Amino acid sequence: MFAAQARSRTTALGALNVLRRNVPILLSYLIVVLLFVAGTAKASGFGSGNHIRILALQASFIGMIGLGQTMCVLTGGIDLSVPWTFTGAAILTSILANGDSSKLPQVLLLVLGLAIAVGLVNGIGVAYVGVPPIIMTLGTNGALQGLLLVYTKGGISSFPPPGLNTWVLENTVGLPNLLWIWIAVMIFGSVVLSFTTLGRRLYGIGTNRGAAYLAGVNVRRTLVLPYVFSAVGGAGAGVLFMGFNGQAFLTMGDPFLFASAAAVAVGGASILGGNGHYIGTVAGALVLTLLNALLVLFSLGTGYLLISYGAVLLMAVFVANLRLSRA
Amino acid sequence: MSGVTTAPAGLRPEDRDSPAGQLRGLVRRIDAVAVMPYLYLVGLSIALYLTQSALLTGPSALEVRATAVLPLALIAFGQTLAIYTRGIDLAVGGIVSTTTAIVASHSGAAGFSLAVLVAAVLALAAFGGLVNGLVVSLTRLQPFIVTLATWSIWGGIAFVILPVEGGATPSGLVNGLLGSILGVPKSVIGVVILLAIWFWLRNTRFIVDLKAIGSDEARARLNGVPLVRRKTQVYVLSAVLSALAGIWVAAQTASGAPTAGDQFILNSVAAVVIGGASIYGGTGSAASSIIGSIVLLMIPDLVFALKLTSFWSVFFQGFLLIVTVMISSIVITFRESRAG
Repeated sequence: MFAAQARSRTTALGALNVLRRNVPILLSYLIVVLLFVAGTAKASGFGSGNHIRILALQASFIGMIGLGQTMCVLTGGIDLSVPWTFTGAAILTSILANGDSSKLPQVLLLVLGLAIAVGLVNGIGVAYVGVPPIIMTLGTNGALQGLLLVYTKGGISSFPPPGLNTWVLENTVGLPNLLWIWIAVMIFGSVVLSFTTLGRRLYGIGTNRGAAYLAGVNVRRTLVLPYVFSAVGGAGAGVLFMGFNGQAFLTMGDPFLFASAAAVAVGGASILGGNGHYIGTVAGALVLTLLNALLVLFSLGTGYLLISYGAVLLMAVFVANLRLSRA
Repeated sequence: MSGVTTAPAGLRPEDRDSPAGQLRGLVRRIDAVAVMPYLYLVGLSIALYLTQSALLTGPSALEVRATAVLPLALIAFGQTLAIYTRGIDLAVGGIVSTTTAIVASHSGAAGFSLAVLVAAVLALAAFGGLVNGLVVSLTRLQPFIVTLATWSIWGGIAFVILPVEGGATPSGLVNGLLGSILGVPKSVIGVVILLAIWFWLRNTRFIVDLKAIGSDEARARLNGVPLVRRKTQVYVLSAVLSALAGIWVAAQTASGAPTAGDQFILNSVAAVVIGGASIYGGTGSAASSIIGSIVLLMIPDLVFALKLTSFWSVFFQGFLLIVTVMISSIVITFRESRAG
């Protein structure tokens, strides 16, 4: 009987611990709820099923990029090459498929291969050569931008093959395909981070690289993977964004450098690594999207949007930090 | 990796006397990372001289180059200080944008009101830097995230002040900053003053403290380095230098733009890194960062001289950045493995 009591107490303590460790994530969901309530109070249509669907679609791009970015941040790194991986994948797909939907499979396979190559370059530079992640990914971002500008002669806006365009927004079992993909990414990301060896290794490397090495983790090889995930996620999001938007253009990736980093930080991850979860990043993506929708509602322009992005990011990391320094 | 000193490995006794041994010792003592920006400068100059010498030695070549380099040099100066402390200042972009927006929307300012405008812009930037510095030094938040957020805020303010590219810079400012004094372009004077400030500053307590903070913050605190004051000074200086750069950009283009500063964020970090500083703090030199800025902005000229489309320059700038950090990573690893 004592054993049973002790066991129930440890489970209760364990649950409390899990809760306490995830306060930043819970906080970010609280912000989501508050923003949503504010929107619904201002306009009744804000909370309608249709509008929620639109918001989710808009958030999905930051969300899909966010998985790789979360993994990079967990290891104490960051991927700043997201914008031109995103743009590059979309533009290559539209140019190579050239309006012919039947060419899509080969083209997408090629783009996937190139994205993996970009991720490997970043990852190998960071893990094996020892280049700081900020600089490495900044450099590849510039190199990719240059190559794409040369390839497109600097001023192209092109269109997705019609098949992609219709598929992205087509409903399967009541939800657009784009949302199903994001849901798949969410399940995949949460499972990888919470229940796999790879997930535990990423946290381990971010918490203490030396200790992870001594515990038998092949630190270098593991450290390559987040950058590959990030590049593939960025490229996939770019192609889908083009399908959603009906157009690919050279500045399409620009907002996603700030957005993906901010989503991870608002979601409660520490930029120093070892702390955070993709579930928080999902909330971060929703926060940024809701802010955007709210400001449109109050007919405030880009300026106020950027100011509120900055303020929310600062507040979220500040609150998360208060909690960390108390612990 | 942080705080690697450049202590030369001792010579083996049997090497000391032979000329080959002496040469080896000399080579070993040269800091390959610190020499790199100067090698780039010489290499690019030779390449430019061989392909399109007018871009290097033409009548207004120096002025054109200095005019383009000055804003980046100003920002890279501040960025060097931030990187010394193992920090980074991404807010520079937003501050440049806001500055150009404010300056370009007060085209009527002249004389006294122009002086007030410039003073107000610099004071506003100093306030922005104060916020960055206090948040970074009083909380445990990472400079990357803090300045990412304030970049967004300042960029937003720029959009609110001047929603689209345009406006007009007060003509007094344009005439006052462009042109030459006694035949010497003012932009050249600006770069020289910046270098002079650095050569005075680098031996002061201030820079010694910054290096100490970047090498080992805990030890610096134990040695009585005033962390909060020093870090705040860094971000205030960086913001004020960015505002000066913004004023220069507004004069140079005679207008403002809400995104005018964004290009400087990554370029200033690139200039510092190409200048040989480690992003892990404690190393670097503002003079080398200025050389890094010049090198970075010579690439478009070389691309033009080689008759490639101008888009290659973005590629080569990114490529040079990667190559530089790879070389310095390898050099440092090599040096550490030698030191044992």
